[in-house]
Amino acid sequence: MTMLEDRVAIVVGGASGLGDAIARRFAKEGATVVVADIDEPGAKVVADAIVADGGNGIAVPCDVTKSADVNAMVEEAASIGPRIGVLVCSAAVESLVPIVDLSDEDWQRVLDIDLKGPFLCMKAAIPHMVKGGGGSVINMGSTLGLIVAPGHPAYCAAKGGLVNLTKQAAIEHAPDKVRINMIAPSATTTGLFMKHSAQAPDPEKLRAQIGAMNPMKRLGDPEEVCDAAVFLASDMSTYLSGSVLPLDGGMAARRIV
Amino acid sequence: MTIAAGLDWTNLLADKVALITGAASGQGRAAALLFGAQGAKVVVADFNDEGAAETVKMLEEQDSEGIVVHADVSKRGDVDVMVDTAMERYGRLDVLYNNAAVQMSGRLVDCTEEEWDLTIATNLSAIFWACRKALPHLIEGDGGSIINTASTLGLIGSEGFAAYGAAKAGLAVLTKQIAIEYGPQVRANVIAPGSIDTPRFRKVLDKTPGAEKFVEQLKKGIPVRRLGEANDVACIALFLASDMSAYVSGAVIPADGGLAVYR
Repeated sequence: MTMLEDRVAIVVGGASGLGDAIARRFAKEGATVVVADIDEPGAKVVADAIVADGGNGIAVPCDVTKSADVNAMVEEAASIGPRIGVLVCSAAVESLVPIVDLSDEDWQRVLDIDLKGPFLCMKAAIPHMVKGGGGSVINMGSTLGLIVAPGHPAYCAAKGGLVNLTKQAAIEHAPDKVRINMIAPSATTTGLFMKHSAQAPDPEKLRAQIGAMNPMKRLGDPEEVCDAAVFLASDMSTYLSGSVLPLDGGMAARRIV
Repeated sequence: MTIAAGLDWTNLLADKVALITGAASGQGRAAALLFGAQGAKVVVADFNDEGAAETVKMLEEQDSEGIVVHADVSKRGDVDVMVDTAMERYGRLDVLYNNAAVQMSGRLVDCTEEEWDLTIATNLSAIFWACRKALPHLIEGDGGSIINTASTLGLIGSEGFAAYGAAKAGLAVLTKQIAIEYGPQVRANVIAPGSIDTPRFRKVLDKTPGAEKFVEQLKKGIPVRRLGEANDVACIALFLASDMSAYVSGAVIPADGGLAVYR
């Protein structure tokens, strides 16, 4: 038995990190996966791997900051055949610069990709979901959208904004049977965290330190994020909308969220 | 620990033992049947022995396994015996689902001391007692999961639920505390149901004048425009009970069709 048959799942930011892992998992669960990413060769690697594994997947280039790109990508997804049942917004960048040193350009870039991107993707995809009788949107937030850490002003602001955008969208489209939820992961052994931690003098030491900071005393595994994504994408969670699911080994429980 | 891709969705709780309080009806019974169908042995705890026996009968009819344990969770002695009985029968405990609760309405000045004490005992102290007794066993096993049922009314204020709201809000923070203190071995999470159409909900409704109109009003305030069903909640509980949520701890998951988002 698979959980996501008969539907197209768009995974934005599907060429790398958690998006890559989620795209592959959704294909295993029977979805036809649209791997959308600005990194077209990377998206193609993931889509090809899905097909080689017996699943259905295509790569579609998409810059989430450009509405024309997003609209064209969603139209292509809609033309595949099965209804667009799932949208995952996983494209994100981080900027590790404190407020006073942060340039206007970097601020704008992070806000455009991490916050406006999901807005444009939802705006384009939700009407198709409504037409198809419903759907599930998963916005990838972050522990840093719930609690803050020094040195991430743009990222924290974008992910924090995405929390309320998710709730807003959930209320607006609940009567249409489109559910909109957030997964808020802490550091996992993939994606942005591995990329940034690789620049530390001793990456393994830093990773161990960060893993030890949370109650479960370890980093998250991308497959664990995929488990939660399948739950939110599937009919297991049909009464769940507007929620923020922390995937953080208990980290956010220490703070007010 | 984590679930391999392409997992078998038919046996998410194989070989696990789950203790569910308030399992004689409603959300507790729905979870008992779903957990059983997913391979768990279910300890059906309730003070309603007849309903609990019926739940076990339903488990057996679907070829699942379960036992009845009599427990009035507002009494510490009952709670201790409940956990001991589960251990004596099955020798292990993997999931503790504290679902039993009382709901008494009443604005603060109308809330009697008896109502206050019973609400706090059943909806908050009972969970402390059960977790305290069960944690050593959950720690012994491989990846224990505690699921505590709070309520939308534990996240937001609502007229007429002084004791209930306080108990449920306290429960949410108690759960986060447990998540942090017992992190590596045991996960602890909260489900916060909104308006769920269960026998208890209907019982309250029967006493409400203009019930039908009340339900229609209620639905208008729920973004998905319907009451929840016991199975809606049970599916979330299954997610939290199983290794599907292996990295989720200290979370509060609403089962409310978006209700709490409005506030």
